[in-house]
Amino acid sequence: MAQSRTRLLAVLLPLSLLLLAGFVVPIVIVAFYSFIPPRSFEFSSDLTLQNYASAIGDGYWRPLLWSAIGALLTTIICLLLAWPTAKALDRFAGRWAQIATLLIALPIFISESVRLIGLSLFLMPGGGILAGSLDALFGVSIGTILNTHLAALLGLVYVHFPFVLFPLLLGFSLVPREQIEAGRDLGAGRWQLFREIELPLTAPGAAVGALFCFVLSLGANAEMTILGGQVVTVITRAIEQRFSYAQDWPLGAALTMLVIAVTAIVVFPVLKRIDMERLLKR
Amino acid sequence: MGAGPILSMQALSKRFGDVVAVDSVTLDIEDGEFFTIVGPSGSGKSTLVRILAGLEQPTAGQVMLRDGDITNVPANQRPTCMVFQSLALFTHKSVGENIEFAAKMKGVAKAERKQQALETMDVVRLPQDYYDRSVTQCSGGERQRVALARALASDPEILFFDEPLSAMDYRLRKILEVEMKDLHRRTGKTFIYITHSLEEAMVMSDRIAIMRAGRIVQAGTPNDIYRQPSSRFVAEFMGEVNTFSVEGGRIRELGATAAGVDDGYLVVRPEYLRHLGDGDEADVRFSAAVDNDYMLGSRTQFHLSVDDQVLIAELPAAAAAGLTIGERREWGFDLADTAHVPE
Repeated sequence: MAQSRTRLLAVLLPLSLLLLAGFVVPIVIVAFYSFIPPRSFEFSSDLTLQNYASAIGDGYWRPLLWSAIGALLTTIICLLLAWPTAKALDRFAGRWAQIATLLIALPIFISESVRLIGLSLFLMPGGGILAGSLDALFGVSIGTILNTHLAALLGLVYVHFPFVLFPLLLGFSLVPREQIEAGRDLGAGRWQLFREIELPLTAPGAAVGALFCFVLSLGANAEMTILGGQVVTVITRAIEQRFSYAQDWPLGAALTMLVIAVTAIVVFPVLKRIDMERLLKR
Repeated sequence: MGAGPILSMQALSKRFGDVVAVDSVTLDIEDGEFFTIVGPSGSGKSTLVRILAGLEQPTAGQVMLRDGDITNVPANQRPTCMVFQSLALFTHKSVGENIEFAAKMKGVAKAERKQQALETMDVVRLPQDYYDRSVTQCSGGERQRVALARALASDPEILFFDEPLSAMDYRLRKILEVEMKDLHRRTGKTFIYITHSLEEAMVMSDRIAIMRAGRIVQAGTPNDIYRQPSSRFVAEFMGEVNTFSVEGGRIRELGATAAGVDDGYLVVRPEYLRHLGDGDEADVRFSAAVDNDYMLGSRTQFHLSVDDQVLIAELPAAAAAGLTIGERREWGFDLADTAHVPE
């Protein structure tokens, strides 16, 4: 007993050290910074809540709200797109589905910034790939959605779609085919099958995917900068500005802690309801 | 029993690519009977029942329910219900929700549904306090009952069973076989049962069809099939038998005469082989050595050898008493106790 315990600790040690150095220590430092006087840099002992007052009072709720709305919309759209895709890939498992899955996974191997700049070249007005081709081939001139909220949302969905799809595919693989047949045999129509059997059985996969998507989208910055231009200021951009141009680390730290709190409020209730063991023990 | 068949299969075929899973099956099922389709794995029996349930479309042929053609009616609109091999219980639902599923799909009110579910639980002898239990908390036998109750509660005209007992241990299977037969008698519904175990089929069924390579090779009452198998395949599928080939009135394996028997095969069950004392008569006589004995409780099984052919004989304890291993004796059987099959 004691021996196996020591061995377990030894195995977990490298990861524990990494998490300690890369996650716990920075968070503790940021948390500490969020309580020192504004625009100061020293670890002083007179702690204050003033940064939190500014974070909440100085209009930062606006970028935070944009981030939350963006993350929420991205999650909903990704779920709506990924669910039927996962169902089709699961139903028609075989060579065709393998190729389709590969095509969806492939872009993940390319740097996110490269993909987003590519998307921005595609959407560019005038000589952009889409507008230019339409003009040259069909004589149609179109405007652009570049530098709008819509373009930023498009980028968010494009980047985060696989993070929803793959957990959902795992979720679908856990739905026994015979349960669906039994439902049909017992008189369930298409919509009833969806509501009574497919949806509850794929819910854990969907929840894991939605969490990935929401958390990653909430912290997304590149999509906004590259595709949203100056129109969209999200909380990550605001934080970045506090730390860089504004040189107000304590306020940046307070904003960071707020974002972590928002994330935790969303993540923990969902995680609590997912039977991770069922998903992983497959 | 009503007039005319409740379900009629007319030249049903199903192909998967080049494979013919069901090959032109024509069969009538009478109203209220317990009909079992038996066959080895890969014989197409599961595919056949899936076609009947509407879960699979036949490549050719028709399925008639009473006088109506239901070949193209989807599973959710057929008045039939299937109990799957895996049972396919909804693992995210409680016992009660499983049983009420069909009623819920029809839009029956909650209170009425519950009342029906509790009544059905009585029918399958499931305690009422299981209503709120999760199906994952139930034992194998209890799950079986939940699956039965779920199917019965949908009030189908025909119930299909796709080997629902094959994953159970022997003792539980025996108990459930009896319960299944009892349930059939009490509900008066038509049961169509699929199994690879002829023993199971014999215990429960009014009629049996034996399936091989997509075709029905014989259909009849258990007694008919036991007494008069139509082929060696059926005879050997029925359990341990001795099969002899007959050519020109002689049994090749035994070097014995079988007067008046046509060319083909003779099937002799182990219990009809007996050892002959002085003055005992038998239509077919031969001498064989006793190789081995196996106690089967009230009976003993003997393996005999004639040249390199191994025969199986089963004797009651009294008749077995005088036999010793290695001993060579006269054995025989009567033609009245044999079945003759042409192939």
